[in-house]
Amino acid sequence: MIRRAPLKKRKISSFMGRVPPNPLLTVISILVALFMSIPIIYVGFRGIFAGSERWLRLLDGRIPQLLLNTLGLTAVVVFFSTVIGVSLAIAVTRCNVPGRKIFSWLLVLPLIIPPYVGAVTYIMIFGPMGPLGSWFQIYSFSGVAFVLTIFTYPYVFLVVRSALKRMNRNLEEAGRSLGLDNLGVFLKVNLPLLRPSIGAGAILVALYVLSDFGAISMLRYNTFTSAIYYQMGGYDNVSATILSLVLIILTVGVLWLEARVGRKTAYFQADSSYRTLEILDIGKWRYPLVGVILLVIGVTIIIPLGVILYWSWIGIARGALDGRFWGYLMNSLQVSLLAGGLSMVFAFPIVYLKSRYPSKFTTILQRLSYSGYALPGVIVALGIIFLFNRYIPVLYGSSFVIVIAYLIRFLPQSMQSSSASLEMIPPKIDEAARNLGEPFWKVIFKVILPLMLPGLFAGGALVFVSSMKELPATLLLRPPNFDTLAVRVWVEASEAVYHMAAPAALIIIIVSIVPIKFLLDKY
Amino acid sequence: MNVLNHKKKLILIGLLIAIIALAGCNEATGDEDAGELVVYSARNENFVDALLQKFHEDTGIEVQALHGGDTVVNRVKEESNNVQGDIFISNDVGALEHLRIEGLLEPIEREDFPGIDEQYRGEDNSWVALSARTRVLMYNKDLITEEEMPKNIWDLTDPQYEGAFAITRGGNGGMIGHVSALRNEWGDQRTMEWIEGVKDNAGGILQGHGDIRRAVGAGEFKFGLVNNYYFHQQLQEPSNNNVDVIYPDQGDDEMGAVVNAAGFGRIKEGPNAKSVNVFVDWILEAENQQMFSNASLEVPINPDIEVIEGARAISEYKVQGMSLRELGDVWEDTRRLIEESGLDLEIR
Repeated sequence: MIRRAPLKKRKISSFMGRVPPNPLLTVISILVALFMSIPIIYVGFRGIFAGSERWLRLLDGRIPQLLLNTLGLTAVVVFFSTVIGVSLAIAVTRCNVPGRKIFSWLLVLPLIIPPYVGAVTYIMIFGPMGPLGSWFQIYSFSGVAFVLTIFTYPYVFLVVRSALKRMNRNLEEAGRSLGLDNLGVFLKVNLPLLRPSIGAGAILVALYVLSDFGAISMLRYNTFTSAIYYQMGGYDNVSATILSLVLIILTVGVLWLEARVGRKTAYFQADSSYRTLEILDIGKWRYPLVGVILLVIGVTIIIPLGVILYWSWIGIARGALDGRFWGYLMNSLQVSLLAGGLSMVFAFPIVYLKSRYPSKFTTILQRLSYSGYALPGVIVALGIIFLFNRYIPVLYGSSFVIVIAYLIRFLPQSMQSSSASLEMIPPKIDEAARNLGEPFWKVIFKVILPLMLPGLFAGGALVFVSSMKELPATLLLRPPNFDTLAVRVWVEASEAVYHMAAPAALIIIIVSIVPIKFLLDKY
Repeated sequence: MNVLNHKKKLILIGLLIAIIALAGCNEATGDEDAGELVVYSARNENFVDALLQKFHEDTGIEVQALHGGDTVVNRVKEESNNVQGDIFISNDVGALEHLRIEGLLEPIEREDFPGIDEQYRGEDNSWVALSARTRVLMYNKDLITEEEMPKNIWDLTDPQYEGAFAITRGGNGGMIGHVSALRNEWGDQRTMEWIEGVKDNAGGILQGHGDIRRAVGAGEFKFGLVNNYYFHQQLQEPSNNNVDVIYPDQGDDEMGAVVNAAGFGRIKEGPNAKSVNVFVDWILEAENQQMFSNASLEVPINPDIEVIEGARAISEYKVQGMSLRELGDVWEDTRRLIEESGLDLEIR
C-alpha cells in the first residue's frame, strides 16, 4: 500500500506533466477542447451506428463513385497546383526574372479570392450566358479542376518559396564541387531539401479540395462534401453521417501523411555558415518566363477581379447597395467579429497550458481543439444541428450557432498565432513575476496578455476573415432572416443574378486582403 | 510592466464594446410570440419575398423568413423537439404530406378553405395547396421544331434525343413528385428503366429548374423537363425567349401530364400560434392566393381565381390521375428508388 501510492501518482504526473497552478485555467481548457471536438465526434459516432442496411446500400453504389470523384479531383488539382506552385517559386527566387520582387507577392494574391467567388467569375465568363460560353465547357471536370487549381496553387507557392529563401548556398556548392551540373544540383540537392515543403503545400491543397463546397457545387461537380450537403437536402441525415464518416477518414489519412512527411524529413541547417542562394542567369529564357508569370497573374487575379468589378459596377448602378445589402453586411460583421473576438479568449487557455505545462494531457487538449480545422463546414454544421437541437436547444435558432461553427472551424488559426507570440516570451518572465508574490491571474493579465497582444489580435483577425468567407456551415445553420454576404453570393450566383452577387463578393475580397500581409510575413 | 499605451487600450475597449453590442442585437431578435412569424420556405425566394412583405404591411406582423431550398424539410425534422418555424412553404405536396405523416405538422383549425378543394389539402387540414404546377417539356424553337419534339415522357429515353435535353437532379422536389406519379402509372420496374434511361440520355443534369430554363433559353440544350411556369418565366425574359412548350402524354391512351402543387403547412408546435392563425386567414383571401400563384406564374388551385395571362388552367389539358395526397405515402420509396439509380446526386 505504501509503495503503490507514489507509483500511481507518478503515472498521473507523467500524463499531466507539471500540474498547472490554476485549476480554473485547466477546466476552461478542457471545456473549450470538448466544445471544439464533440460535434464532429458525434457525427462520426452516428455514422458508425447508422445501421448495416444503410451502410451496405451506400457502399454498394454511392461511396465508390464518390471516392472516384473526390480522389480523382484531389489528385489532379494537387498535381497541377504543385507543378505550378513549385515552378513559379523557383522562377521568382532563383532566376533573374525582371520584376521578381513584385511578382513574388502578386503570385500570392489569388488567396484573397475565395474559390467559390473565383468559380462565379469563371461562370460569368465561360458559363452558358457568358461572353465566351462556347469556348470552354466550365461545368465539367476540367472546369472544376481548373478553377480549384488556380485558386489553390498559392499555398504550394508560398511554402516552397519560403523554403527556397532559407536554403543554404554551401550545399549547392558542395554538390557542384562533386561534379554536378545545374540540373544535377537541382535534382540531387535542391529537390530533396524542398520535398518537405512541397509535401506540406500539396497537403494544404488536398485538404482544401476535400473540404470545398462552394466552388464544387457551383461548377456542378460532386464530391463527398457536396454529396453530404445534398443528402441533407434530400431529408436524409443518417446517410449524410455515413458519408461524413468516410470523408473524416479520408481527411485523417491526409493528415497522417502530413505528420509522416514532417517527421521523416526535418533537415537542419547550421545558421553560422548560412549564405543566401545565388540567382541563376537564364539568359533569353527570362522573357518567355515573364510571359508565363503574367499569364498566371492575369488568369488568377486580373480576370476575376475585372469581372467582379464589372458586375459590381452594373449592380451598383442598378441599386444593389440597398438597405438589405447593408443588412447582410451587418450580419456578416456581427458573426465574424464575435467569432474573431471569442477566438482570442478561447485560444489563450489552451495555448498557455500547452506552452507552459507541456504534457500528453495538454497535447491531447490541443489536438482535440484542432479537430474541426481540417474538416468541411458541412460536417461541422451537421454535428451542431444534431447536438444543439437535442441537448442545448436554447443556443440553437439564433445566429450564435453560426459563431460556434466558425469557432470550431477556425479556432486553430487563432491558436497558432497566439502560440507563436507566447513562445517568444520566455517562461522565466512568468516565474519571475510569480516569485515576486503576484497571484497567478494577475501575472496573466498584467504581464503575459499584454505581451501576447499582437499575436492574439493577428489570430483574431485571421478568424474574422475566414468567418467572413465561410459558406457551407452558414448556409445550413443560418436562422431565419439572417443571410450573410457569403450566402448572398451563393444564392444570387446560383440564380444567375450576377449583378447582385458581385458587390457582396467584392466586399469579401477586400476583407480577405488583411491576412495576406500576415501570410507574407509568416512565410 | 504595462506595454499597453492609451491608444491601444481605447481601441481594445472599443472593440469589446462593439462585440458585446452586436451580441446584444442578436439576442433582441429572439423574442417569442411578439407579433412575429417564422416562415421556412423551400420556394425560390423571389417568389415569396413580395408576398411576405405584403403580409407584413397588411398585418404588422414581423416575418422572419428562411429561404433554404430543399434543406428546409430536413431542418423541420431535426428541430422537432426544438421547434423554430411556424409555417412551411413548399413547392411540392410530397414534402408536405411526408412531414404530416411524420407527425411534424398540426391541423389548421378552420371550417372553410375558400376555393381549395378537399383533395388539395392534408386530410387533417395541416397543409393547403395553393398553386398547381405541371411537368412539361420546354424547347428552344431555334434548335428543334414542334414535330421533332418528344410527345410523351417515355420518349426521353429514346436514343435520338441523346444529349439534347436537361433534367434536374433527382433530389429536387419536383422530380421526386414526378417519379412518384410514374411509379403509380408504370410500377417500379419500368420506372427504374425510365430513370436509368433518362439519366444516361440527358445532356445535362442541373441543380434546379431555373438553371434548365436559362440553359434551354440560351440554346445550351434543345429542350428540358421543367414545371410549366418556368416556360412562362422564360417568355418574360428580355432575350433568349424563343421558347415553346409541349404538354406531354396527351394522347387518348396516354397518362396525361403530371401535376404537383405548391402550398403551405403548419409546423407542429411552432412558437407563434397567434400569428399562424392570422397568416392562414390572410393567405386564403382571394387576392393573396392570386399573388401566391402569380409571383411564379403558376396556376391557382382555386378555380374562382383568374389564371394569369398566357398560362393554361388545369382543366385545359389531360392530367395524370394520381391524387396529390398519395405523394406522401410513397415518398420514402420513391426517394430510395432515385437513390438506387444515383440520380439524386448526379449532376453534370
